[in-house]
Amino acid sequence: MVDAGLLMLAFLCSFTGMSWLALALKPHWVQVRDAVPHSESLVRRLRWFGATGLVLSLAVCLVADHASMAWLVWIMTLSAAALLVAMALAYAPRSLSWLAAIASGLRGSA
Amino acid sequence: MFSSFRLAMTWVHTWFGLVLGFVLMVVFFFGSLSVFDREIDRWAIPETRYEPQVMPSFDQMLRPIFEQIEPDEAELEAARARVGKLEAELPLMNWSAYTTHRDPVLALYAEFAVRNNPDDAEDHVHGHVTIDPRTGARLPEDRLKIGSEFFYPMHYSLHVNWLGLGYWIVALAALVMLVALVSGVVMHKKLFREFFTFRPQTNRQRSILDLHNLTGVVALPFHFMFALTGLIIFAGIYFPVSETTLKQLAEKHERIEANAKGLAHDPAGVKAPLASVDAMVALAKSRWAARDMAGEVGFLWLNHVGDRNGTVSIYRAGSDQVALVGQAVHFEATTGRIIHEEPPPSPVASVNEFLTGLHLQHFEHWLLRWLYVFGGLSGCVCIATGLLFFVGKRKQKHAAQGIQGARWVDALAVTSVTGPVLAVLAILVANRGLPTEIGERNVFEEGAFWIAWVLAGAHAALQSRPVQQGRIAPAWRQQCHAIATLAIAAVVLNWITTGEHLGSSISRGYWPVAGFDLVLLAAAAIALTAARRLRMREKTKRRDNDDIEADMLEPAHG
Repeated sequence: MVDAGLLMLAFLCSFTGMSWLALALKPHWVQVRDAVPHSESLVRRLRWFGATGLVLSLAVCLVADHASMAWLVWIMTLSAAALLVAMALAYAPRSLSWLAAIASGLRGSA
Repeated sequence: MFSSFRLAMTWVHTWFGLVLGFVLMVVFFFGSLSVFDREIDRWAIPETRYEPQVMPSFDQMLRPIFEQIEPDEAELEAARARVGKLEAELPLMNWSAYTTHRDPVLALYAEFAVRNNPDDAEDHVHGHVTIDPRTGARLPEDRLKIGSEFFYPMHYSLHVNWLGLGYWIVALAALVMLVALVSGVVMHKKLFREFFTFRPQTNRQRSILDLHNLTGVVALPFHFMFALTGLIIFAGIYFPVSETTLKQLAEKHERIEANAKGLAHDPAGVKAPLASVDAMVALAKSRWAARDMAGEVGFLWLNHVGDRNGTVSIYRAGSDQVALVGQAVHFEATTGRIIHEEPPPSPVASVNEFLTGLHLQHFEHWLLRWLYVFGGLSGCVCIATGLLFFVGKRKQKHAAQGIQGARWVDALAVTSVTGPVLAVLAILVANRGLPTEIGERNVFEEGAFWIAWVLAGAHAALQSRPVQQGRIAPAWRQQCHAIATLAIAAVVLNWITTGEHLGSSISRGYWPVAGFDLVLLAAAAIALTAARRLRMREKTKRRDNDDIEADMLEPAHG
């Protein structure tokens, strides 16, 4: 059960990381936050947040499994998370607004 | 010939992708099913729906069963065709048994020497039985293990056994997959900028291309690693240097390696008794525990059975690692003395074991298994959307010019996308619907599979005329309906014939059957949704592929 929890956490980290990387791209930010400005500093922050999420996900995978297995799990988790983010942006972009809000310092959260 | 590198890559991607896309579709689809091959076996053979078992006692149970194994009749026939008359009793060479953490049944194998082949000193035939390791009872021969013995070989050989042609077609397809991935990345102008882009609301061609790019790009590491490792696994077939150019070297290497480990390469020709294998297993397990890697037996191998030079090799199951098995301990069969304990593999060997292991996946990790299914199915979506894009881009033009090309590509796309799904469902329905008393049940089941596929192809061809007028072929929608019907029928038939419905399999926590039933129902739901949307599209008859910005599309018209 501990393992299942860790793997879920790893997936969550991948998903939030991928979401922030997507939000660093202007068209996706607009999909989620409409007219809220997409400043240079915000983009940098989103990229940092995103990268951190992905690295954290790897760290959790390494805790959950033997290293050789963990890399496989991590890479596949990234793929699945990226596809889920793309689908969320296509069908329910607002569902990611909480992540956008976290990155923009909870100012004007939707 | 091409004004830019990108145009050249586009040509390669389009045409190689088209020709081998149909094969790749089949390889990806059956590969995805093979991730759960043993679970599909359980669904198809209700007598084996119990928990996975560890390797049973050799001395008590396996030995008498091994002793009864005869060479397969079909193999004997093939051997007679090779060498003429065979010896009355072929000498036994070796026995082996392989099991994983997902196997409730155990397959036992024996090899028998064919000594009178002047062309091949190592000619031999096989025999095998499958048993219930709890009781030692043999499973009837005509129970087809649909997952591991039918879908899985389909994945790597297409069941085209003549001259091993299937292996070569799949190899070529894997190679083309690698080419398509590289050329696809080169063609993709906005790989990072459109990494997460899917616009289902835009016109049809645009959204198909988005989905093609998305499923290709996000699962790129999976596609690449699996095409590559697939080729590596069968490298010995594709480049049989150890059988041809380097045969002498390979044989010498085999002897030197056997000598170095102290394992006899050849039998002594002197009969000798076999010591207790159970004691050897216990000793091997204690050795693994001493190395802090306690485990179960994955592979048991007795070479030169009954000979003074006989050896017993015990391999640890790789449930907790990517490599299949390992940490072998080799024993002298007559005394039970340890001859050689394999050291940790060299770096090269570990890389090889990792690459083949990640593809063959006998490890215990359910999330990773499902992620592999996701990878495989995204490959299917990528290939199917590629084919649809090809057709969508040309059908108006072909309609105007009276060319048949788009029509037949579309019919082939139906045959390779919904066709295999229908064939799979047909074999499952036949498996649950056919009476148990009929002999050679496996032959009927396989027949249902192939007939359904041929019918799907014929139906696709007959219903392809609308494509000629620039419209959607109704075959897509009709086959989606057939998929939904058959998938539900399979679940219902499983319930009727075994009494096991979703409520009961879930409540007893038996996931091989519950999971597969749920997958079938999910497939039915997806097929129904697809059919409904196809109907809507057929009605709107929109000519919607003219309004795409030129830069978003392939620059060349192929």
